[in-house]
Amino acid sequence: MTQPLTLHSLLDDAAAVHSDRRVLSTGTDAVSYGELALASRRAAHLLRAYGVRRGDRVVVSSPDAITVAVAVHAASRAGAMFSVLHQDVRDRPLEHVLGDCEPTAIVTDDPGVSTTAQAHGVRVISSRELRHAPEPGPDADGRSTPAPLGVDGACLIYTSGTTSLPKAVVSTHQQMLFAARAIQDCLGYRADDIVFSPLPLSFDYGLYQLFLTFLAGAQLRVGDVAEAGPPLLRALQESEATVLAAVPSVSDRLAWLVRRAKNKPKLRLVTNTGAALSERTIADLREAIPGLSVQLMYGLTECKRATIMPPDGDLLRPGASGRALPGTEVFTVDDDGERLPAGEVGQFVVRGPHVMAGYWRRPELTAERFHRRDGLFPELRTGDYGWMDDDGYLYFSGRRDDLYKERGFRVSATEVEAAARRVEGVSSAAVLPPGPRTGKTAVLAAVTELDGPDVLARMRGLIEDHKIPRRCVPVPALPTNNNGKVDRQALTDLVQDPAPLRKEHAR
Amino acid sequence: MTLKRTDVTAAMETALSSVLERPVTGLSGQTRLFDDLHLDSTTMLEMLMELEDSLGLEVDPEELEADDFETVDTFTDFAIAQLETRSAA
Repeated sequence: MTQPLTLHSLLDDAAAVHSDRRVLSTGTDAVSYGELALASRRAAHLLRAYGVRRGDRVVVSSPDAITVAVAVHAASRAGAMFSVLHQDVRDRPLEHVLGDCEPTAIVTDDPGVSTTAQAHGVRVISSRELRHAPEPGPDADGRSTPAPLGVDGACLIYTSGTTSLPKAVVSTHQQMLFAARAIQDCLGYRADDIVFSPLPLSFDYGLYQLFLTFLAGAQLRVGDVAEAGPPLLRALQESEATVLAAVPSVSDRLAWLVRRAKNKPKLRLVTNTGAALSERTIADLREAIPGLSVQLMYGLTECKRATIMPPDGDLLRPGASGRALPGTEVFTVDDDGERLPAGEVGQFVVRGPHVMAGYWRRPELTAERFHRRDGLFPELRTGDYGWMDDDGYLYFSGRRDDLYKERGFRVSATEVEAAARRVEGVSSAAVLPPGPRTGKTAVLAAVTELDGPDVLARMRGLIEDHKIPRRCVPVPALPTNNNGKVDRQALTDLVQDPAPLRKEHAR
Repeated sequence: MTLKRTDVTAAMETALSSVLERPVTGLSGQTRLFDDLHLDSTTMLEMLMELEDSLGLEVDPEELEADDFETVDTFTDFAIAQLETRSAA
């Protein structure tokens, strides 16, 4: 018996069994497995009719999860690679993506995104046209088009790195299939589960909720941006969700909401990724929702997921982020790349079939991060640091200096600083990532005559909104250390004590 | 005590200035919370928590609907309804 090799086979296999069962819903719309499979098959013909060929790229920018799901599976069937963009990716950041991956088509209803795409010669397809593509005629090409191979590219996920512009992690069909199956092995979604995900599908864990749902034959309810906020509780209750896919900010909010609610949601499982979840939040959720299990995880787009805790494993091993996925390995290395024993802090390295193909058109960076031992065997150097215990549990201690998480998004300080310097009137800028001294959100220090809110307002359009720090403090100069690099300690002092500074807030 | 819409708007401006760490003034009824003010799901909850303190608003989390958070007007309607229910109870 042969294992299916393509990403869309997950949908087709599930649709063969549960054709009439609801698979995906939003606050206003729903589709069954059969409808989604059919719509994506028709949409694949539409893509081909618009000239999308094997190996081409298709970009998707839509707030509608069903449109994204149709587009993703249509691209997979057509042998093209899809890239789902966050809706904040517009103007300059969008131009970067379009120039970088040179897509043949983009699926969007956003007028601004459409205008930018058309200016780059990219065919714009509306969600309506995509979702209601007609049944192709008997002589439509497609039957003659060979199916993609398991080793072909399936997906590009743009991610911030140490470079000033985002780069795309490329995943092949078989890498995504392995990752999805391994995650489902650990999480065990069930056929009767209703999975609620308030995460955008541009975020890899949000996207993979689709594949995990298909593997279980379950239902997925995708929440919109508003439903991730205060209305979260009500959305969970109305959807009768049993599983919540969360990042810490979502869980923190839920803990606040459930503490004061009379009726508790029926959740049996909360999974957490993105950053460490506070023990207080976990305890609050467990107390408020009887029978709830929590599974903590660690990973990065370059291998999708590295480790997962067993259900409620945090109670036995506080501070751990799980064990390597089945069939994979995680260990630490020193600065020379030599493997370290358990208990010693080093850089995490990941091996296994889930280590993705590399970065799109970035051979040097790919060689560095997707290192090949003995020139042959891929191992992912994560750039994250921590240690493993004797039983193979991972303890995360930090990322490289440059990257930080804000509101669940991975943000590169270099990228934010580059955008701030593009603002007219800003001569230099440095970001202080969230930390014990800066607080929960990043602070931008800028050498400028403008006031802080002005700088932030003028950064819109230069970079995605969610990457713009919430606070900007004008400083007379950026303190530097002996190497001429920004002295972040001294800068933190300066920002913390604004007495010698000009007005920061005009409150 | 009856609260006027302008009181709610003023309280929102104060709350938003604190949450967004920038001065927020001149809100109109049609101002959209996500698109115009760039609130996100986290800042939305923070605003709500501020208003609980300043207006004495006590929201029932099971009553919170996405539609209420669309514009300054829809949120004001929601806040006033919540406050009236409370004083009637």
